[in-house]
Amino acid sequence: MAAVLVHIDLDGDRPNASSLTALAAGRHIASSWGATLYATVLVHDPAHVNPSRAIESPMPKAIALGPIETALTRGGADKIIVALTRDPVAPLWATIGHAWQGVVDRVRPRLVLFGADAPSAVELGPRTAARTGGRLLLRARATGIDEIQLRDRDGGYARAGDGGASVALIGRAERPVPASEPSPIDVVVLAMPGTRDTRIELVSSAPAELVQTTNMLIALGDDVAADPEVATRAKRLAELMNGHVVGSAVAVKAGAVAPDAVVDRTIGLAPELCITVGAIHIDVAGATSVVKITPTGSNRITTVDGALAGSASAMLAELVKKLETT
Amino acid sequence: MSDKIALWLGSSAPARSVRWLDGALQAAATFEGRCTVIAAGDQPWLDLAADRAARTKLPSAGVRTNLQLDYLGWAQIAAALAREVGATTVFVEEASRAERWVEVAAIAELLDAAQLGHVIALAPDGAAITATRVMGRTRQILRITGPAVIGVRIAGAPVDDYPTPMPTSQMKKHELSAIGLDPSVLGHRAIPPRTSLEPRKTVERIAELLVVHLAAREDR
Repeated sequence: MAAVLVHIDLDGDRPNASSLTALAAGRHIASSWGATLYATVLVHDPAHVNPSRAIESPMPKAIALGPIETALTRGGADKIIVALTRDPVAPLWATIGHAWQGVVDRVRPRLVLFGADAPSAVELGPRTAARTGGRLLLRARATGIDEIQLRDRDGGYARAGDGGASVALIGRAERPVPASEPSPIDVVVLAMPGTRDTRIELVSSAPAELVQTTNMLIALGDDVAADPEVATRAKRLAELMNGHVVGSAVAVKAGAVAPDAVVDRTIGLAPELCITVGAIHIDVAGATSVVKITPTGSNRITTVDGALAGSASAMLAELVKKLETT
Repeated sequence: MSDKIALWLGSSAPARSVRWLDGALQAAATFEGRCTVIAAGDQPWLDLAADRAARTKLPSAGVRTNLQLDYLGWAQIAAALAREVGATTVFVEEASRAERWVEVAAIAELLDAAQLGHVIALAPDGAAITATRVMGRTRQILRITGPAVIGVRIAGAPVDDYPTPMPTSQMKKHELSAIGLDPSVLGHRAIPPRTSLEPRKTVERIAELLVVHLAAREDR
């Protein structure tokens, strides 16, 4: 039977919310494709013996899955694989790549899913695709009713009848799997061989400056920053999308953005998504995707994915309303 | 580490600005005498890549091809070019094009190298490289001591306009077959040319675009 494998990142003792989104998508796909849905968690085992190959082992006494197992069962997993690693788990291929690859080699999945916003997704997703020679879908969503398929915004897709493997970073908040009383499911514990790649060493870690964040930014122009409705709606939109609002010193003075969110033209922004509101004097050329909202529908930014012309306040309100009900 | 370095500028011109090319080139130039710029694609793009490389006094090498490939196809060309110039570490300029960052992992896989993406600062550190990267809302400083593929998103100075590059003789040209690649085999990684997408212009269509960026429900 074909396998759909979902990588689950952990936030403390709970599955990451974005990983659960991927699990929900995986449930819909596995049911449609007649596949088994595996959820995999990588766990550091302080008493790891580092076997020469992946071996099934009992759950170490020091590790309790508890709420993780419950959440994954409720999320629709058919089987759970707990991969024990010798090194502490960190979202870095150099640290967990060997253990993750061991799981992929064992399951040989037809489809591998990550939550697009899960910490490990950008590290593990593309490398997994490259190793399997598979297609790679970014910010994909499951669509269809009877025959579910995955589609990304660039036209990439994965369907039940396709040959070869695919890897997808799931970006759509899928309709959750109906909650039910969890019944016991298979939990396979694997002690994985190998150790971290010592060529990369993490020296230190700290919170990033707000303008360096890689997720999503809303850039407010000086012409709209003084409008309190624009500021409020921009903040709500940023909240919905786990992003930040940035602007110039004028926007800070108007109270529309926080003092640590000042950006000027000398700073290059490279978030995954940037929504510009009004006439901005900020360089967003490094953004993967740009949407602009201006009274005239035009400004200096070229190659945008979306452009709304009209009142910034009204457009933001409509977007927020639309996304809140999604 | 005095190994040679290749800077992969990719397979097509920047979507919006050359400042990211310039930033990557300036970062690579700090590794004095060790870096060769590599690129692939059509002739106008190679001319631009060679021109920007020449401004930072870096040598360049390229493959002219009209193939349209997926991430793994371009990674095969980048890896072959890196081997051709004798590089064991590859920097990848990943901010100019949306599709570029995934090539970091693919090139690393082909070269059996360590990988690191989203790097915002690079510096030689004796025999090693110190990299600062941002992942989500975390800034990490890492030390790299062996063959690695490093995706960089380092901005150069703002550039409003730049002169159209003249056809260049400064770039060393290679044929695919000369670097061990068979175009017909590479063709298996071809993707059909996509018609240029018009920007979405209604709230409904933009909401469809944004919905895949929504925070997972627990985070909202």
